[in-house]
Amino acid sequence: MLIDHTHRKWFLGSAAALTVAAAVYVPYALHSPQGPRGGSGIGLTFGTTGFLCMLFAGLLGLRKKFPIWRIGRAQTWMRGHLWLGLLSFPLILFHGGFHFGGSLTRLLMWLFGFVWISGILGAALQHFMPRFQTAQLPMETIYEQIDRVRGQLAEEAGQLVEETCSALEGEVSRASERQRAVSASAGTQGGLTVASGLRTNQQVSVQLRTFLDQEMRPYLERAGAHTARLGQSGQAQKMFQQFRVLLPPDLHSNLDDLENICEEKRQLDKQSRLHRILHGWLLVHIPLSYGLLVLGAVHAVVALRF
Amino acid sequence: MLRRTRTTKKLAKRIDLQYFAHAHPFRQWRFWLSIAVPAIALSWFVLQRAQGGQKVYSAGPLSHAHAVFTQQCALCHVAQAGSFSAHVTDKACLTCHDAPVHHVNQTFTPECASCHVEHKGAMLLQATADRACTQCHADLRTRDGQPHYISSIAGFDRKHPEFSTLRSGKTDPGGVRLNHYLHLQPNLIGPNNTRMQLICDDCHGTKTADVTPHQAAELHPASLTEISTRRPHEQAYMPPPEFAKHCAACHTLQFDTHFGNEQVPHDKPEVIHTFLVKKFGEYIATHPGAVHEVNPPDRQIPERVRQARSARNAAEWVQFRVEDAEWLLYAKTCKQCHTLRPTNDSLPEVAKSNMTTRWLSHADFDHHPHRMMTCTSCHSRTPDSRETTDVLLPGIQTCQQCHRPQGSTKEAAEGRCYECHQYHDWTKTKPTKGDFTIQQLRGEARVPVLDR
Repeated sequence: MLIDHTHRKWFLGSAAALTVAAAVYVPYALHSPQGPRGGSGIGLTFGTTGFLCMLFAGLLGLRKKFPIWRIGRAQTWMRGHLWLGLLSFPLILFHGGFHFGGSLTRLLMWLFGFVWISGILGAALQHFMPRFQTAQLPMETIYEQIDRVRGQLAEEAGQLVEETCSALEGEVSRASERQRAVSASAGTQGGLTVASGLRTNQQVSVQLRTFLDQEMRPYLERAGAHTARLGQSGQAQKMFQQFRVLLPPDLHSNLDDLENICEEKRQLDKQSRLHRILHGWLLVHIPLSYGLLVLGAVHAVVALRF
Repeated sequence: MLRRTRTTKKLAKRIDLQYFAHAHPFRQWRFWLSIAVPAIALSWFVLQRAQGGQKVYSAGPLSHAHAVFTQQCALCHVAQAGSFSAHVTDKACLTCHDAPVHHVNQTFTPECASCHVEHKGAMLLQATADRACTQCHADLRTRDGQPHYISSIAGFDRKHPEFSTLRSGKTDPGGVRLNHYLHLQPNLIGPNNTRMQLICDDCHGTKTADVTPHQAAELHPASLTEISTRRPHEQAYMPPPEFAKHCAACHTLQFDTHFGNEQVPHDKPEVIHTFLVKKFGEYIATHPGAVHEVNPPDRQIPERVRQARSARNAAEWVQFRVEDAEWLLYAKTCKQCHTLRPTNDSLPEVAKSNMTTRWLSHADFDHHPHRMMTCTSCHSRTPDSRETTDVLLPGIQTCQQCHRPQGSTKEAAEGRCYECHQYHDWTKTKPTKGDFTIQQLRGEARVPVLDR
């Protein structure tokens, strides 16, 4: 979510509400004979308003469950979630007079603190990271499909290596259409057959297969193997450069493809990491929010009694 | 040259179109955590409720005095019949405490809990905020019109008047003449003609000043902790000096050369008279020849030389000697300190000593916590005081050097109103009778719903 000029009204509204609240709180705290307390009229007003803001923020999850409900645009709900949630914390601090109170209220304040800070962190991440991702990860895919795509990459790499090795070993039957075309063209020009037109370096072929089995396939099939040699862009480049020396130039395009597959895998790994950062805070923010709302409701009932 | 191409069609083919139908582990975690955290939170609450009773509801730790009742909210939070609310009422406080009224003509009486704020941790409930006092005293109104006190006091450092004794120019009404300046001179003649330098403690001292610290702690256990009961105790005020303890060593009361250093009792003139008659009677009975002795002229008061008189018999001798001794005592010895008024009787009337032990009539003061300071750091005018009428009470500015309303938060001594002033008029206190059992107080038994 981009926090841009479209948030101006929400920002100004929240800032105005906070200013009013502070303007009420300061003289109340200074002149109240017993100091600011949650149970006083003003304290209860702060508490109720803060809890309503929290409730509204919490209803965003429900709103997302029913996207077709005509109860305002999702964007509006999201902005309300952000700004009212932000406003709720100072209101609750005013409610408690900056005291954490007993065990229940102390737990509530700690929960609220974590929810509030994780929310701010999340908003900042949602503001900056998508643009960063777009710039850094041109090969990104749907996060949930990364495992599947990784498998496809491994399969694609296997086919490419097999194709290359076939070409190297001179197996005409396993040569690709393109190779056939190349050799056919060469034969018409230089009198060469397909078999003689293809390089038959058995040793290189073995090395390439070994490279696939020991380096590339494990790297492609394993999620987040960024410590592997192929996980490092520079090292991968050197490894492929060695094969370029060994392989004839007309097979270099295969190596380019293999290198590109590794690059895509690196980007997918990076996308996974960034995704965990971009959405990981929700694992803290959402569950703690529910805990906060449940205990907040208990606190409200208890406070009304005592 | 790269042969791999990333066309939209190729990319689309990679995707499982039903992928959203299967929850990704990340979403699964989020879902289960969203159920688990509220469940854990509720379980914690239920567990706390089961283990600690109502303590989990507490808005904060109770004060020292009430900490023992932490499990029994119903002691103070009395539920009214038919009402969900169980707020603290004055009745609940008055079940255990007496709270005499502040002034009969005050315009309103705040609720107990509005000044004695609970659930603020281990603190002294008497330590009320200044606002509790200044809500009235900053603009004092009384039922009978004009207040008798300063009507705009906003705090110890804001508009607090000078102590009333100093403000009104009152003088010390003491009937015993004392020259502090003279008594604090070096090389005074002390007992047995020794030279000495008096210090304040030689004459002034609290009642328990001579007990050991251990004994003092037993008397006042609270004095060992930061929290004090704040009730003035025996060490709070300086008792008046006692003649026998503090004066007699230097101010001797010899009355006649026949008795050497024997002294008359430090008592009323009638007692002294009886003592003298008895003493001289006993003497002449054992020394009958003394009747015809010619008394030498009195040399102790040269300007008032008395003529020598010859007694004709023992009774007359006793009469003359008693008169001479009383004349010596009342013209010189007693008069040095006491004001003597002549009466129709032969014996004078000694004015009452009338020593003031408590100069701050509207406030409490305790010398004990101030014992680390020299006396003159506060009573700075004492070394130069020559008149009995001098009031040597230090002014408010002396106190304000250390005591500030912000107290320890501003590296100062406590300076809130409660430090010196009592709200409740404890002279009107009434005994209270509790009706709880130990089990009820400890939260092990229910508190009956009383009409409290």
